[in-house]
Amino acid sequence: MIPPAPGRGGRLAGAMSDALLLVAAGLFAGVAGGDRALLLAGTLVAAGLGILLRRFGGARTRPFAPVPVLGGLGLAAVVSPLGLVPALAAGAAGLVFLLWLADDPHRPARGVRRAGAGLLLPALAVAMSWVSALLLPPGSATVGVAAGLLAFAIGAVAFLVARPRLFDREEALTS
Amino acid sequence: MSEAASGASPLEWQPRAFLLAASGAALLLLGVAARNPAPLFLALPLLLAAPAAAFAGPRSPPSARVDTRAEGHGADVLFRGSVTLRSDGRAGDLVIECDRPPGLAESRPPREGRSGATVTFERTWKIREPAIVVVPPVRARWRDPMGLVERAVEVEASPTIVERYPPEVARIGSVPLRRTMLLPGESRSPRLGSAGEFHGIRSAVPSDPPRRINWRASARAGDYLANEYEPDRTGDVLLYLDARPSSLGPALDERLLGISRAAAAGIASSFLREKARVGLAVFGEFLDVVPLGMGRAHAQRVREGLLGARLADVRAPSERGAIAAARYFRPGVTTLLLSPLAEASTADLVPFLRRRGYPVVVLSPSPIPIVAAERTLSDEEEAIVARLARLLRRQRLAESWRYAPTIDWEDYWSLAGFVSFLHRPLTRRAG
Repeated sequence: MIPPAPGRGGRLAGAMSDALLLVAAGLFAGVAGGDRALLLAGTLVAAGLGILLRRFGGARTRPFAPVPVLGGLGLAAVVSPLGLVPALAAGAAGLVFLLWLADDPHRPARGVRRAGAGLLLPALAVAMSWVSALLLPPGSATVGVAAGLLAFAIGAVAFLVARPRLFDREEALTS
Repeated sequence: MSEAASGASPLEWQPRAFLLAASGAALLLLGVAARNPAPLFLALPLLLAAPAAAFAGPRSPPSARVDTRAEGHGADVLFRGSVTLRSDGRAGDLVIECDRPPGLAESRPPREGRSGATVTFERTWKIREPAIVVVPPVRARWRDPMGLVERAVEVEASPTIVERYPPEVARIGSVPLRRTMLLPGESRSPRLGSAGEFHGIRSAVPSDPPRRINWRASARAGDYLANEYEPDRTGDVLLYLDARPSSLGPALDERLLGISRAAAAGIASSFLREKARVGLAVFGEFLDVVPLGMGRAHAQRVREGLLGARLADVRAPSERGAIAAARYFRPGVTTLLLSPLAEASTADLVPFLRRRGYPVVVLSPSPIPIVAAERTLSDEEEAIVARLARLLRRQRLAESWRYAPTIDWEDYWSLAGFVSFLHRPLTRRAG
């Protein structure tokens, strides 16, 4: 007899992460400048579309669920003003987006817990960048530090993606 | 270079990883161009997510043990099993991939359960008609919870064979068969040998192999004693499959051959249980043969022969099939010919086999139920076509009856008529 998948509460599966994504997207759009109401509505609609696609989409459309969410968050990031709070909100929104990806209702439960180690590294990077930005003099220095970190990150990502065998750990011949 | 680094499956980046990396790079450019840190802070987790997921996952291809079995009866096939990770790992990240063989339809959504390092899975399929099919080995993949990277799991699994044939076939083994050897028969043979039913114990001789020594009895008697067996043959039967193409078309021919294969598997298994000798001949372009034999190893040989039976591309002349059969099987072997008898040119295999001295009984799976299921005409037209098809079929069977008893097989899930026919004394005389 096959036991039911633990923790998958039917329609409620992944509801917490959906709600968290909406809150994070709303907060980020709220602290961003420009036409706040329009931006807030656009970001929330984009996040909602992603949630609906993931929850009710077919096998072919479901993989595209992150696209509108990324679009909404990207739009909010581009129009957001200079400042530590929008930067912090952007980093937090990015992390919540990853958490939302991990809590897929179509996959076994406790995805967030299993993805813990994978989420830790980006969270640390965001925290370090934000603290650096906080401690450094305001202005373009913040952008410079963050851009440096990001350029390094992009280089590292490109290098690692091109060499997937680098992640392999050699098996010991003797135990 | 280690095995992990050379031959084993590497990490596979999923499209989502590229989407995140591309979005991160675009945000980085926008942030630098606009001198705005917010896009940069949003880009940072997106860029780091995939490498972090790869580092957090297994650093070498995980290995797993797979157990599968096919259950159910009749048209229902319940394919279930478990995948257990050998190394430390969580089953929550495993994705099970199970291919459904052709001819089977999913009747219920797949079910999976996870506990610790084990994933249990269940697939419920419906089989259209009797068949013997191979379910390919189950594959497993590790996928990170965010769906960014994958790695194939090394599994040790073997294919599972699903056999479905009419239940009446289980009784067919009791049909008396013709004898083509010197001593075998319906009564027990006095000849003793190294295989068959246990007969008794005798003093061992130096030429006895160790496996014939009865060690327990030897220990009790204080002297070497060997087991003796008596071969118990009830007779010989040849299962002859006609695998030649016909004007019905390859799809229909393939399905009819599949039905014949399933029936042959059931009949062979039933006769082998009764210790009869069973041979197999598959006539496509040439004759593929499994010679007469008995025992479990032979049952496996027959099964492999049936699984390997394929529809030929070329329609060979019937005489070739009869001449080739005479090279491998003595005349007089009771022959069960499984052929749809779709055309006169293939139906004349029966007289050729009779001419070579084989007492033939024909079991002919009818194409009419399959054709009737694919309705393309109006009800009235369908009725006329069905009537004409039945008339044509009846005429073909009547022609075949002139040479050998011929049983029309329309209800694929029942062979009651065929089995009861074989039990009649008339059948034994018909050869």
